[in-house]
Amino acid sequence: MSGAVALPAPRGAAGLRRAAPVLMGLGRLVLGLGIAAAVWEGAVLGFGIRPEYLPRLSAILSTIAATPEAYAAGFLRTALETLIGFAAGVAVGVLNGVLFLRAPVLRDMLFPVFVVSQTIPVIAFGALVVLWFGNTLLAKAVIAFYLTFFPVTVNTLVGLQSVDPRQMALLRSFGATGRQVLLRLLLPSALPQIFVALRLGASLSLVGAIVGEWFGDTTGLGVILLQAMYTEQVTVMWAAILCAAVLGTGFYALVALAERYLVFWGAEA
Amino acid sequence: MQRRTLLTAAAAAPAILPFVARAQGTQKATLRLKWLAQTQFAGFYLAKARGYYEAEGIDLTINPGGPNLLTENLVATGADTFGLSGGTDSVFAAREKNLPVVCIGVSHQQTPFFFVTRADGPIRTLQDFKGKTVTTWYTGANYVLLGMLAKIGLKPGDFTMQPQQVSVTPFVEGQIDVVTATKYNEFYTLMTRMGREKLRTFVAEDEGITFPRDTLIVSETTARQKPETVRGFLRASIKGWRDALKDQKAGVDVVMAASPALDRAHQEFMLVEAGKLMTAGAAAQQGLFWIDDAAIRSAHDFLRQNDVIKQPVDLAKAYDGSFLAAIPVADRMA
Repeated sequence: MSGAVALPAPRGAAGLRRAAPVLMGLGRLVLGLGIAAAVWEGAVLGFGIRPEYLPRLSAILSTIAATPEAYAAGFLRTALETLIGFAAGVAVGVLNGVLFLRAPVLRDMLFPVFVVSQTIPVIAFGALVVLWFGNTLLAKAVIAFYLTFFPVTVNTLVGLQSVDPRQMALLRSFGATGRQVLLRLLLPSALPQIFVALRLGASLSLVGAIVGEWFGDTTGLGVILLQAMYTEQVTVMWAAILCAAVLGTGFYALVALAERYLVFWGAEA
Repeated sequence: MQRRTLLTAAAAAPAILPFVARAQGTQKATLRLKWLAQTQFAGFYLAKARGYYEAEGIDLTINPGGPNLLTENLVATGADTFGLSGGTDSVFAAREKNLPVVCIGVSHQQTPFFFVTRADGPIRTLQDFKGKTVTTWYTGANYVLLGMLAKIGLKPGDFTMQPQQVSVTPFVEGQIDVVTATKYNEFYTLMTRMGREKLRTFVAEDEGITFPRDTLIVSETTARQKPETVRGFLRASIKGWRDALKDQKAGVDVVMAASPALDRAHQEFMLVEAGKLMTAGAAAQQGLFWIDDAAIRSAHDFLRQNDVIKQPVDLAKAYDGSFLAAIPVADRMA
């Protein structure tokens, strides 16, 4: 963890030494994936599992290779919806957290409403969102947002509230303004807690985007998934699931990476 | 923070663009389908690709449907201009709830689904449904089944009826005795997995029941204020469908371009079957999208008898054939 704090890595041998553990980790990851793929392929062949239940991994990959543009377009579209919803959810969530800390009245007024909003199953929301926003990218982003903003709000608030009051008092005694206290102490201290929500939000926003696509759209992984489900194209269904898994894992990894750099003093994760 | 705002801005741009780049001179309209892109809707996609809507002054966007989306609602609220909705049954239901939608054309002239059993199984006649397990969709097909069986004297307690899930696998595996299949979708899956000769079908029309489906609807407001747009939409759609049924390769191509992950062989089969349903019955003489008053009346009376619709629906208000009538019969023939 401490390696990440250092200034730009020196070139040459030292850089290599630094890169070695990363490469090693990557190597292990590739090896793990390779083994999982081999077990998958072998199990389907060995146990004679029928393709209706689980197609071979190679069959799924060749399905993707047959029309790669469909999957690429779906991947990008879903990624975009996820990202917009996530970004908006994070922005609003952090803002809510700060607002609720500063104005407990607002917290008491709005928090119950937020809780109620989160108890509504997102699927009940889908048809309404289409009615309001049409079949736009925005409609899907709104659902992703809806699933993301609440955990971020809660965690931001918890993070902000857990700041040591003695630190606050110290900064104040040096004449720090409210804004300075917020930016230099409160938010950075809450970051580890906020990142817990961000990692949660990364997967939730993808769920939101895909659910959103089930309410009528032309492109997206959710669209491919739905279409394949109803025409019983099982390999296509698995192909969409695989793409969604790659997207979800990739997004989660990016958030975790950002956490490692931004919360360099070490989150409890 | 700065990076985040930049990201949001960059991501939002494509979402806003379509609103900025509105076409000028032509009228914006949308068509909400009952399902995702497939050749069941090939004619609409082909008409759009060949500029038939544009020629009528309509800048049409085709919006796919999905599960839990009710086309009648979207059209009634004005979220969509035109809709290809469930069928006569869903139009009745909408009118009963006072949704201001009008049907301007009927695509599938006959019941598009049937009930399938194993050819080598114990079910040879409808009478044999007694004591068996049947799965069907609880969106209209269940009443067709009940109606068919009532005609030969079977009551609901004489057999087990269960809601049908997405997949036909339980039937293929032999867990259930009768499965409901649309002629263009589920039946294809059954054929490819079991073979056509292994399947026996029971058709509603054989029992004197018909259930026209895939209805074109508009809101009462659109029908009243923009009759020329409605006529133009019908003219262009029919032209697209005539092309798609005559040149089926073009019909399949245009759908495959919209949704490349689809199985081409299945889509070819679907277009053939959709064509049969669209040119069946009175449409053979009257052309595509014909509103067959007799068939509508029979479906209405059937649902009324079974108490699915609680009050009679004013059919003259719910079904308006005047837009179709403005197009010469020769131009409507497939």
